[in-house]
Amino acid sequence: DSHVQYERVGADVTMKCGSMDWDAAVTWTANGTDIDESHLNGSYLILKNVGLSQSGQYSCYEGSSWHLKYQTYLRVGTPPKEPVLMCRSNNYPKGFYCSWHLPTPTYIPNSFNISVIHGTKDMVCERDAVPKNRCHIRYLQLFSTVKYKVTLTVTNALGKNFTTLTFDEFAIVKPDPPESVVAKPVPNNPRRLEVSWQNPSSWPDPESFPLKFFLRYRPLILDQWQHVELSDGTSHTITDAYAGKEYIIQVAAKDNDIGTWSDWSVAVHATPWTEEPKHLTTEAQITETTSASTSSFMAPPTTKICDKGAVVGSGAVAVCWTAGLVVAAYSVLFI
Amino acid sequence: SPTGDSWGIFTFLCAALCNLPALPALNCSEELGAGQSIQQTYDLTRYLEHQLRTLAGTYLNYLGPPFNEPDFNPPRLARAERVPSATVDLDLWRGLTDNARLAANYRAYSRLLCYLRVLDGQVGTAELRHRLAHFCASLQGLVLSIGGVMSSLGYPLPAGPAGPPAPPGVPTAPNDFLKKMDDFWLLKELQTWLWRSAKDFNRLKKKVPPAVVTLRLEARGF
Repeated sequence: DSHVQYERVGADVTMKCGSMDWDAAVTWTANGTDIDESHLNGSYLILKNVGLSQSGQYSCYEGSSWHLKYQTYLRVGTPPKEPVLMCRSNNYPKGFYCSWHLPTPTYIPNSFNISVIHGTKDMVCERDAVPKNRCHIRYLQLFSTVKYKVTLTVTNALGKNFTTLTFDEFAIVKPDPPESVVAKPVPNNPRRLEVSWQNPSSWPDPESFPLKFFLRYRPLILDQWQHVELSDGTSHTITDAYAGKEYIIQVAAKDNDIGTWSDWSVAVHATPWTEEPKHLTTEAQITETTSASTSSFMAPPTTKICDKGAVVGSGAVAVCWTAGLVVAAYSVLFI
Repeated sequence: SPTGDSWGIFTFLCAALCNLPALPALNCSEELGAGQSIQQTYDLTRYLEHQLRTLAGTYLNYLGPPFNEPDFNPPRLARAERVPSATVDLDLWRGLTDNARLAANYRAYSRLLCYLRVLDGQVGTAELRHRLAHFCASLQGLVLSIGGVMSSLGYPLPAGPAGPPAPPGVPTAPNDFLKKMDDFWLLKELQTWLWRSAKDFNRLKKKVPPAVVTLRLEARGF
């Protein structure tokens, strides 16, 4: 006969060759490979301080006839540690979901049982097909004063463990991050970026349960973020961007009144509008552009001189214009 | 019997105190002006929710353990049903008419205010009395504000919160612990109502823009 045997890491395992006597002559194999006699005590196989690598199929054959007398699949593992449980409502007011995992693997199969108690009522948390370690529950009542108590029990052949979460309906509300975040430059505005986004699709009723948003942005070259909190609307125009710098922008969402902020959205990159292409390095190119741009006093070529701490106002333009003149004068000398 | 007497006193106190909110709403017509918009009422609920957090923390500490423990999760006793509950079936809540929605809020806060005022008369420390008094004043403002919105929309104010807040025959807490339980549930219901009201007024905001409210008031010659 063949079966599965579970043992703890570090345990001493004794395997008997089925109904054979202790003094019978037998041969043991592990995954088809003969096992040395030093591991035998009579016909018993002794494995001391088993490790994960010793998992496998063990077979016992009668000495002379080579009849298979016993077979077992040894699986070495550990009893479960306290599981990690998280519950969250990203679809308020529809309901919430709970997801869990083990902090360390057990190397053997585990089964999970989840129970949800609301006051005196038992509720059913429906298991999701994918991902497996997740279940969801629908609210029957809204604005409840009674807490929800969720207990997760994990069991395997070597032991069991559990954890409990108790929370109010409002405490676990956390939307998914905003979706489809788009940032675009604004034509003829070197310091503006237009950002727009959408409510997370999992949020079922933004009309009655409006979301507010938090926008953060910074140029790639700086570490410090700037923040804007927006109580409604799904767009915002940044008006203080540094000219010509690439920006990274993210948005987060929160129910207007309850719960916590979502994670940050996927980051989007954008650079404000600039008049000229940025690769001006040769004198010939500088000469061409300065002679061509005498008609406009607007955004000068973005050379390194102008980029230093670009500040809004005519002052900066004047500096750049002067710089352009100086360069033009120089290039005239070199013709 | 001693319980009968204290019940009588309780009922009288409540009846007396509870008739207060109704009167100013009828007399002070200036308060029913354009200011009583839904947005302002919404803002008031948020302000009160914030205030309540501090008040509840102080009060629960005053009650002592286990009431001030964060995971204290007692079963709801039948006696706690006197306090108006914000809990409601989801579809029912969605389907409430504007009138019903406002009326539920009005009734709930009037009753809660009444209970809080009784509490105010009983607490020990001066700090707590001061906080409670301040909160009651703000809560009264909320009741008036809701009343104002209802009047300006042409809805009748619900029959006053007068009358015993509990059906006769339910005695006041027979012991100190149950009295504290009552206080605990009162604060919990108040907190939940304030969270619910934010959602109620969000819905009303969308359905009845402030402009409409102002127009109606002008037509009435306010």
